[in-house]
Amino acid sequence: MLHTWPPFSETRAEEVQPIEAAFTVAPDILAIEGDFAYGEYLSSECTTCHQATGANDGIPGIIGWETEDFVIAMHAYREKHRENPVMQMITGRLADDEIAALASYFKSLGE
Amino acid sequence: MALNRRSFLGASAAGLSVLAAPTVQAAGHGKPRVVVIGGGAGGATAARYIAKDSKGEVDVTLVEPTRTYYTCFFSNLYLGGFKSISDIGHTYGGLAARGVNVVHDWATGVDRAAKTVTLAGGATLNYDKLILSPGIDFVDGAVEGWDITAQNKMPHAYKAGSQSELLKAQLAAMPEGGTFMMVAPPNPYRCPPGPYERVSMVAHYLKNNNPTAKIIVADPKPKFSKMALFQEGWANHYEGMIDWIGEDFGGGNVSVDPGAMTVTIDGEVTKADVCNVIPAMKAGRIAEIAGVTDGNWAPVNAADMSTKADPDVYVLGDASQQGDMPKSGFSANSQAKVCANAVRGALTGSRVFPAKFSNTCWSLIDTNDGVKVGATYEATDEKIAKVDGFISATGETSDVRKATYEESEGWYTGITNDMFS
Repeated sequence: MLHTWPPFSETRAEEVQPIEAAFTVAPDILAIEGDFAYGEYLSSECTTCHQATGANDGIPGIIGWETEDFVIAMHAYREKHRENPVMQMITGRLADDEIAALASYFKSLGE
Repeated sequence: MALNRRSFLGASAAGLSVLAAPTVQAAGHGKPRVVVIGGGAGGATAARYIAKDSKGEVDVTLVEPTRTYYTCFFSNLYLGGFKSISDIGHTYGGLAARGVNVVHDWATGVDRAAKTVTLAGGATLNYDKLILSPGIDFVDGAVEGWDITAQNKMPHAYKAGSQSELLKAQLAAMPEGGTFMMVAPPNPYRCPPGPYERVSMVAHYLKNNNPTAKIIVADPKPKFSKMALFQEGWANHYEGMIDWIGEDFGGGNVSVDPGAMTVTIDGEVTKADVCNVIPAMKAGRIAEIAGVTDGNWAPVNAADMSTKADPDVYVLGDASQQGDMPKSGFSANSQAKVCANAVRGALTGSRVFPAKFSNTCWSLIDTNDGVKVGATYEATDEKIAKVDGFISATGETSDVRKATYEESEGWYTGITNDMFS
């Protein structure tokens, strides 16, 4: 099945930007196994702004997300279905496997 | 008594400045040793990431003379009254708790053949890899009439802390209808939008406290970072208050007389009540002492920030000559992570991933009127090269500008945690 954006739980629904229409990511992309160590390295670019504690201070927390939610959100920025020029730029050069790696790592921080 | 890291830190904190060399090389045990000089956005981040990710496999010593580090980023917001001085001050206890050996001292010498660093307190540190992140110093004679002995009469306030407090006190003491002057720096320099955010924050303060005061900027450049955004903001918020004199109108032909408190711009003498002189910049002096500079800056390899002069000496941030990235705290933090990954890999065999760099610079023009510029970068054989970028648009809604300011506050918390926690 195709997964639909946004599939968020209540705990972070308020952090999520609205999106103009359902945004989908193909199953084979969602199925990519994230390289945890690579994700840990790549995550350091994110933690300049997004706090590793998950706090929300003007910039949303991103730890502990379900990997699928994370992957869909990043693809939505990359395809410019979500706004914010910083996020569109950062995701613009992330390959599918890099997004999967980040999803794997940030999920682990919430565990 | 053999000192371990913790007791060394305690002794240092108690103000004992001289310790014999062997005690500083605590917990050697044959582990690879990294010495980091400079505890700002580059050095603190590099020390933190190497210590955190190596999980004790690498000995990390951070040499930083100040016990409280005041970030240059957001120091303009302190001038504008949006932040207190304590809001921008950070200490090194978090890094010490992560296992970084924090030594509050000046590095005065580097012997690259012996792989040692000498400290002002007399100690010698051995290293396998040396990371220099010393920030900036000023080019001697860059502004005629000004040198470092004049910094109390005409502050630079471009290394944050006491200089920022001095400039703010002078601003508060300006007579009604007085004149604030700035001598802006030539390229390249720390924080390209910094002088113009400062003009905005000074104008914000004056509008509320001394509304007939004037601001005159003498600038050796024909244009500057986010120029359209700043000029739009100055017209909207501070109409008639700011006179920017660029290169075309003699803004680069400047001399100052700190005794008389005058500034001469293209032959015309003006009396200043406050004068902020931001001279031309160069790499912090230890980079020159280490012999890794070429001209004013230290050329580095983009893949890992190692210097062209020595593969075991790395330079981060403002002091480096790397290519397309602006000299900013964000850039230094980004470069530090690439460097930390490469250094740890070289010393422990851990995986080394491709370099990715990014930068965003937020500036505040007036209350809730934030703007930003950013870009991503990659390593090429030649340099750090820009990949993609964006800039705030003129005419944005107040909601967008407010969100941008709030984002900058989130970033400040994020990056300072990423450096010091």
